Amino acid sequence: MGRKKKKQMKPWCWYCNRDFDDEKILIQHQKAKHFKCHICHKKLYTGPGLAIHCMQVHKETIDGVPNAIPGRVDIELEIYGMEGIPEKDMQERRRTLEQKSQESQKKKQNNQEDSDEEDDDDEAGPSFQHPAAAQPQAAYTAPMGQPGMPPVAGAPGMPPGGYQGMPPMMPGVPPMMHGMPPAMPGMPPGMMPMGGMMPPMMPGMPGMPPGMPPHMAPRPGMPPMAQPPAAGAMPSRPAAPAAQPAVTKPLFPSAAQMGSDTPSSSAAVSSPPADPQSASSQPPYFNTPQAQQSASGTAASSSHSTAASTDPPKATFPAYTQPSASSSSSSSSSSSNPSSSTVAKPPATVTSKPATLTTSSATSKLIHPDEDISLEERKAQLPRYQRLIPRAGQAHPAAPPVAAVGGMMPPQQGMPPQQPGMRHPMHGQYGAPPQGMPSYMPGGMPPYGQGPPMVPPYQGGPPMGMRPPVMSPAGRY
Amino acid sequence: MSLFGTSAGFGTGGTGVFGSTTTDSHNPMKDVEVTSPPDDSISCLAFSPPTMPGNFLIGGSWANDVRCWEVQDNGQTVPKAQQMHTGPVLDVCWSDDGSKVFTASCDKTAKMWDLNSNQAMQIAQHDGPIKSIHWIKAPNYSCIMTGSWDKTLKFWDTRSPNPMMSLQMPERCYCADVVYPMAVVATAERGLIVYQLENQPSEFRRIDSPLKHQHRCVAIFKDKQNKPTGFALGSIEGRVAIHYINPPNPAKDNFTFKCHRSNGTNTATPQDIYAVNAISFHPVHGTLATVGSDGRFSFWDKDARTKLKTSEQLDQPITACCFNNNGNIFAYASSYDWSKVRVRLYSLLCAERDKNTLSEINKTTS
Repeated sequence: MGRKKKKQMKPWCWYCNRDFDDEKILIQHQKAKHFKCHICHKKLYTGPGLAIHCMQVHKETIDGVPNAIPGRVDIELEIYGMEGIPEKDMQERRRTLEQKSQESQKKKQNNQEDSDEEDDDDEAGPSFQHPAAAQPQAAYTAPMGQPGMPPVAGAPGMPPGGYQGMPPMMPGVPPMMHGMPPAMPGMPPGMMPMGGMMPPMMPGMPGMPPGMPPHMAPRPGMPPMAQPPAAGAMPSRPAAPAAQPAVTKPLFPSAAQMGSDTPSSSAAVSSPPADPQSASSQPPYFNTPQAQQSASGTAASSSHSTAASTDPPKATFPAYTQPSASSSSSSSSSSSNPSSSTVAKPPATVTSKPATLTTSSATSKLIHPDEDISLEERKAQLPRYQRLIPRAGQAHPAAPPVAAVGGMMPPQQGMPPQQPGMRHPMHGQYGAPPQGMPSYMPGGMPPYGQGPPMVPPYQGGPPMGMRPPVMSPAGRY
Repeated sequence: MSLFGTSAGFGTGGTGVFGSTTTDSHNPMKDVEVTSPPDDSISCLAFSPPTMPGNFLIGGSWANDVRCWEVQDNGQTVPKAQQMHTGPVLDVCWSDDGSKVFTASCDKTAKMWDLNSNQAMQIAQHDGPIKSIHWIKAPNYSCIMTGSWDKTLKFWDTRSPNPMMSLQMPERCYCADVVYPMAVVATAERGLIVYQLENQPSEFRRIDSPLKHQHRCVAIFKDKQNKPTGFALGSIEGRVAIHYINPPNPAKDNFTFKCHRSNGTNTATPQDIYAVNAISFHPVHGTLATVGSDGRFSFWDKDARTKLKTSEQLDQPITACCFNNNGNIFAYASSYDWSKVRVRLYSLLCAERDKNTLSEINKTTS
């Protein structure tokens, strides 16, 4: 590398001391993190540019570069990528990098690495060679001892990995979080931020970042680091791997080997895993021709809501983030609406009476009866299906001679049951065939025996379109 | 093994008088319609296991009967036999050797139907309708597992009137599936419990539901080593969750997808969301089929996370489905369940899906 501008190893951000694989990524980072207008989110190119923009457009003054470490907040310094960095700071960084690499060489470098995802480390510097295993390296804890740090530290590192579900990215991170003393050489991404964030930490800190780069830099082209959300995700990350346990009995050993392809056990990846709810809310997937997107599929067929939007970085829960479509009707078991019309798009009221569902919303309509009982239970409540139970034992009327079989006792002709008539064994019973189930003669059929009063004048079965509110909320069965 | 005497009872399998003109929405896929279908909605279907030659299809219906058809290679179906309960039949299953069929009914009993002798005897009793029935064949025991709306899961040795074991569930059983050594039961109030069946059945884990709506159907899938590794769970809200029991990365491996919804691309009209009535996995390819109250069935590839195919819309909801033991035949039942106002014919259709076609479907992401 002959360019004097380039830091001895890799491009790094002067504002927050983070390392990057590539200057292009560095610039993207700066634009998104440091040169972004907090009012309109427009990304400028330099600090002064941002200041001018805010003044002219929003009539506001900016006193410092956003997200910069103390000491590096000067908004007047025109820094773009690696250009414009004061020589003094360059040298200081070089020094700390060297220091750090020495440290890391001395200390054990084994388990550090970030699992997989370890980007090839072209580092001249030593250290961090192997991807940090991301195990909380206890050894290093000592130096740092900043309990508070980890969380912060982790954040910056997280984003890149977090996104697009790059499994490799994350792995190291979570473990890091647990107070991994930044000093760890090869401390995965987490470390880096620390270095940046906590000047106090310094001693070994500055040295660390350099090591970070490998971890940090996600694949080029990813809008990495830029995403603050990652920070949020961080904390939960640890949970993810931890949740892995798979400690369960050997019961389903095969299941445990499931993701044999993922390099490390904890290929954490993106967002809030631990939470079961969210775990399920992965992108709907099952895309139809369109929506191929990146790895994450997304866009389930016919999901108008998700089809749109879902930019990869946030693609993790398209299914459930869409307020429209499903989730709307999803407030399951809330909403009241004492029966009344069901399907017909009633304005889903509220009240919240258990045992009913919200069946409709502005954008979607759940074709299901209001009560939160299964379709079979509902159907079984119909008078026409209840008259039979009491007659258990007798060849119930409907089982006409035709049907060769009959109830529990296999008395009859255990023989070729098939008779031409087989087709209509039931007939007499129900009177009217399927259509117009009117005549049900409820006649107070004792329900299936348990209690649910059931009964009431049901007339007009389901087909009648559920008119009668009478759908007897009563009981199951 | 020839079953019971053949019969010529071929009645017309209920063709639909149909309002629609050109497209026969009663059988838009031009699949083979089974002869002598039951007279009321079909609640469950089951094909015979590979231990028996030929394909025999069992269907239980709300007309209290269980019917058996032989499905021939040319797709023609021959009604073979039937048995009755005193209440609607909710679930059926075969024994592993194909000699017995077990049936579960709203009359709170389950029966074992010996096909050779065409006799059926009661083998189980619950305090409420029995919603699911499965045969368990373990190295050291065999039994029937019944899940009921009385909130219990019972295991029966068919020779004794008392259950071998009875497990309490938090809520009514809505659906279940068994692939030894794993069993999954989904209950009301979105309960989800996994049981392990080695040595003796015991509760393995209660899982927080990945779905936000009432559970409706569940099917276990296997991994490449043919061991059960997870399940697909369907809800009334047109959504299926794929859930692995011990994935290396739950957040990434488990996911849900939407299905059985009316065309929602036009945001002006609200999207109609239908219940997923049944899920069935192809025994060879591992792809899954879902059928819903919207009257369609779809095939999906859960590993590639893509939809393979969706059928045309039938005029009635599809209430049950099943693959035969080698995956060449897919049977689905179209019948009134609740949502369709028009109550009409209850018919059973069989779709020939030979292996080539299916793998072709697998390749194309429709």
